[in-house]
Amino acid sequence: MDLKNRTVAETWAKPSSSAKDLPKQLTPDHRSFTSFNNQQQKWEDTSLLDFNNGIQPPFPEFNQTSKAPQNHNSQIKGPDQEDMQSNETPDSNRFQDWDPRVMLNNLSFLEDKIHQLQDLVHLIVGRRGRVLGQPDELATQQQQLITTDLTSIIVQLISTAGSLLPSVKHTLSTANPAIGQLGQLGGVLFPPANNLNGGVPQQNSGGSKVSDQSNQIELTENCGTEQNYAAEEHEAKDDDDADEGENLAPGSYEILQLEKEEILAPHTHFCMICGKGFKRDANLRMHMRGHGDEYKTPAALAKPNKDSSEPMLLKRYSCPYAGCKRNKDHKKFQPLKTILCVKNHYKRTHCDKSYTCSRCNTKKFSVIADLKTHEKHCGKDKWLCSCGTTFSRKDKLFGHIALFQGHTPALPLDETKPSSVPSDRAENNESKLGNIGFNFSASASSGNAVQNMVDVKGAVDDPTAYFSPLNFDPCNLPGFHEFPRPSLEESDGSFSFLIPDACNYNQKTGGESGSNDLE
Amino acid sequence: MASPLSNFSLLTDDLLFRILDKITSTSDRKNFRLVSKDFHRFDSIHRKTLKLLRLEFANSLLHKFSQINALDLSTCPRIDDATISSILLTSRFSNSLSWTLNIKKLVLSNATGLRSKGLELLMRFCINLEAIDVSDCWEFGDLEACALACGLGLREVRMDKCVKVTDVGLARIVVGCGKLERLSLRWCMEISDLGIDLLSKKCHHLRFLDISYLKVTNRSLFSIASLGKLKSLSMVGCSLLDDVGMKYLGRGCPLLQVLDVSRCNGISSYGLTLVLKVHSGLQQLGAGYCFADLSADLIYSLKNLGSLNLIKFDGARLSDSKFLSISLYCKQLVEVGLSKCIGVADEGIIQLASGCVNLKILDLTCCNLITDIGISAIADCCTNLVSLKVESCNLITEKGLERLGHSCLLIEELDLTDCSGVDDTGLCTNVHDKGLSHIGQNFSMICELDLYRCEGIRDEGLAALSGGCRKLKILNLSYCRAITDEGIQHLSNFEDLSVLEMRSLINITCSGMTIVAAGCKKLLDLDLKFCRNIDDSGFWALAYYSRNLQQINISHCGISDVGLCMVLGNLTCLQDAKLLHLTKVSVEGFELALRACYMRLKKVKLLSSLRSLLSAEILKMLQGRGCKIKWH
Repeated sequence: MDLKNRTVAETWAKPSSSAKDLPKQLTPDHRSFTSFNNQQQKWEDTSLLDFNNGIQPPFPEFNQTSKAPQNHNSQIKGPDQEDMQSNETPDSNRFQDWDPRVMLNNLSFLEDKIHQLQDLVHLIVGRRGRVLGQPDELATQQQQLITTDLTSIIVQLISTAGSLLPSVKHTLSTANPAIGQLGQLGGVLFPPANNLNGGVPQQNSGGSKVSDQSNQIELTENCGTEQNYAAEEHEAKDDDDADEGENLAPGSYEILQLEKEEILAPHTHFCMICGKGFKRDANLRMHMRGHGDEYKTPAALAKPNKDSSEPMLLKRYSCPYAGCKRNKDHKKFQPLKTILCVKNHYKRTHCDKSYTCSRCNTKKFSVIADLKTHEKHCGKDKWLCSCGTTFSRKDKLFGHIALFQGHTPALPLDETKPSSVPSDRAENNESKLGNIGFNFSASASSGNAVQNMVDVKGAVDDPTAYFSPLNFDPCNLPGFHEFPRPSLEESDGSFSFLIPDACNYNQKTGGESGSNDLE
Repeated sequence: MASPLSNFSLLTDDLLFRILDKITSTSDRKNFRLVSKDFHRFDSIHRKTLKLLRLEFANSLLHKFSQINALDLSTCPRIDDATISSILLTSRFSNSLSWTLNIKKLVLSNATGLRSKGLELLMRFCINLEAIDVSDCWEFGDLEACALACGLGLREVRMDKCVKVTDVGLARIVVGCGKLERLSLRWCMEISDLGIDLLSKKCHHLRFLDISYLKVTNRSLFSIASLGKLKSLSMVGCSLLDDVGMKYLGRGCPLLQVLDVSRCNGISSYGLTLVLKVHSGLQQLGAGYCFADLSADLIYSLKNLGSLNLIKFDGARLSDSKFLSISLYCKQLVEVGLSKCIGVADEGIIQLASGCVNLKILDLTCCNLITDIGISAIADCCTNLVSLKVESCNLITEKGLERLGHSCLLIEELDLTDCSGVDDTGLCTNVHDKGLSHIGQNFSMICELDLYRCEGIRDEGLAALSGGCRKLKILNLSYCRAITDEGIQHLSNFEDLSVLEMRSLINITCSGMTIVAAGCKKLLDLDLKFCRNIDDSGFWALAYYSRNLQQINISHCGISDVGLCMVLGNLTCLQDAKLLHLTKVSVEGFELALRACYMRLKKVKLLSSLRSLLSAEILKMLQGRGCKIKWH
């Protein structure tokens, strides 16, 4: 009895722990799909099978197929399979945002979940009867395990049920001609051909009843995007800002997707008569007035579909770039609000940055407006901290400085030593003096300073030398180790009109009565 | 061998040093060290401060007085990067750099030629520096502030009128000198709230702060209020501050002792009351030209301030009843400023004088309702009075002044300008020689005398004055036109005279000038405007004798080319010259004279017509040395 209970407890412990591991392993490293499947199988083998064995027969067909070498079209049920085959036509290379098969999968997943829930409750009921005589410790432990599993299942139920919200109305939207065409095929769409392989295992894993610990939707989408990651590295930057954007319910808006050519086209509105292109339809309407009076009526000039009183479904846009977070097939898809957003987004993230700032020659932009914005501020008021961080605003710099110990604002022309003050702090005084002393000796070697003084004093006796332009160059003061002249010597002696006695003043009073100069 | 000096040789060094501690006056110190070689040695060992007047002796003096801890270079001409490095270089070669290690205080105010490199060099050598004064270095900017920031141990920084220093420079200082305790930013107009905010965040030890005339808002006061150790805050002329800021201040700065909100137009009586109610430890309060009317509430809140010893309510309306309150609440007052106050009459002054018997300094400028009764009350009660200003108080007569002279023996400063009510025997415009002799007899300690436009003064008066007031340092004789060479020669008795104004003394000739120049060796500032009859020989004498002259005004004088060159070339301390309307001086004369002194000049005033005539080279040279040329 004891032994049996313990084993049961162990098997209980396993699934819950591996359940925690699973999403972790899945999301960060987009490992190849086969390894993912392997893991699932392993997981299945170890715990779920054991668990199910005791209570209910497992899903034999799944286990068999998953063990088969070709595990792609594994366990799809009858109608699903047919749908899929029809979708495997190569021309079905358009995504569709709502897929009935996904819904079916979700429903069957819900079914399984409810079954599992039932089983758990059964187990609890059965256990209640038996556990009475057990030590409290073990009983509470098992109780905890059961409740955690219960809650996780219920959470999944709720989230999956949420994704089942009706989304039929926008499947047949005619916004995208390609979608419209496909809609004729029965509104059943399939991922593009190059994504076919991804699509199939997506169904596979989605249909697998095994993945009860992870969110169904998430899993399928994750698998679906794996190919994209493998195909092309996606910009990490775009993945980072996952928080931005509105939180619309998945089915509450209509998703439109423009073609790349459409996005990059300089004009989007064309005159039907002369073919001239315009960026805005208002400009086109203004243009149309020239083609005749019929275009001058208020109705013709009015903004189209403004008066359509029927409640419009929110329009959101998807980026045509596969794997982009703004692409509707991305697992964390975030729609773009307007066509302008689409254009800017596409140019910024998926196009070459062809506009270079003419001032700094480093910053590049793909949207010309961005360049203009940058050029307004480029090189202007760069507030620089000693740590190298730059700020566009002074108060931001000062906030930064107030925050960090030892940081100081750097001056624009700061080539002098003060910037290294913090590092000097470590030096002791002697080394500092030594440092400067070295400079002294350097200057001494270049020209003995005392000698220098004497020489220049001699030169100063000559008035013409005194007035030579060389001596009148006080503006650009040199570094302290190169003096043009000794400054301590009085040069007034050069004036012929000076009182001779006065000139001797220094000698007379220099020594003892230098006190005269003290105060 | 029984000379009196031998007794002194019995004194131990220790005792001599104690004696020296008591000798504060510079002239006394000079006499002391002239006694003997020993005394001279003692003096040099004892000396702690050194003020250099000319650079020629810098190295020998610094070598001799290596123990000094305060060095003042403010009046020294030609302080620039090259000279600083040169001094350090020579010290280095003669192995006498030890003075740099002892220096704790450095005064570099007015060192307009100095730039960041020289300053940084000084800062790096004087590693124990604790205080530095770079006020009026109007060329100083952020680079110089960076150099200042090298002084890691700095506790006191004065940088008044360093108008080019911005928040960035202040931030450098603030971050570099974390121990800062005293900081004066007066007139540093570029500094804004951001800098003050950073200062308050980084320098927690700040005790003294002067932000006068900055364009800061209440936000700065909010930051300043967080300074827990602040004792003194001066914010004169910060017109953007108002009562909200005062409310912040009321909540913070628990140790505040000195507050000056003069000329803050935005602050009302109510705002000030908010601060006074909280800070009962306040000792000095300046609120001049701040609000037109003092509210009764404000006066009442003075009651809290038991240790208040200074108030300034310049320009306010004060009634007698308010004086009564003040004299009741503030018994400890030592200094009171009531200049240009409206409604101040004898009644109020009597109240004030009877209440505040410790009064030493009283400013009653333009309180023209005051009569002899008020002055007598002051004379009777406040016997410790040192300074009294009663400019334009027309009702005061010689009787009141006589009373004052008899009882207030300590008086050092008396301003009687424009007291036209004083008649023949009194002072001011009608001051005659008798008045001066009164002064000569009674005010032996007086050191400043302003006799502006006292046209009744004759030579005899000056003679009487020179007999008594030996300590006179500042004398204004402008427009006392009756004075001739005969009288002016008595000025040579004033050995300590340092500032002399003698505008428009047309009877003075070269002979009088020569005697003055030879006698008053300590003359620093001389104003000879409109002294038309002083010719070149007078200026020769000036150039020869007045070695210490720092400022000179010789506008409208009869000086010639040679004279000007003599004056500007020989006066090696000259830093400020006003040279307007010198009709006998040619452009070449100006050019040559300016070349002779361009190294030293810090300020020069010239006629704007010369601007185009003088060579561009000389102008560039002057400006390159930090000389400010004012074109008139």
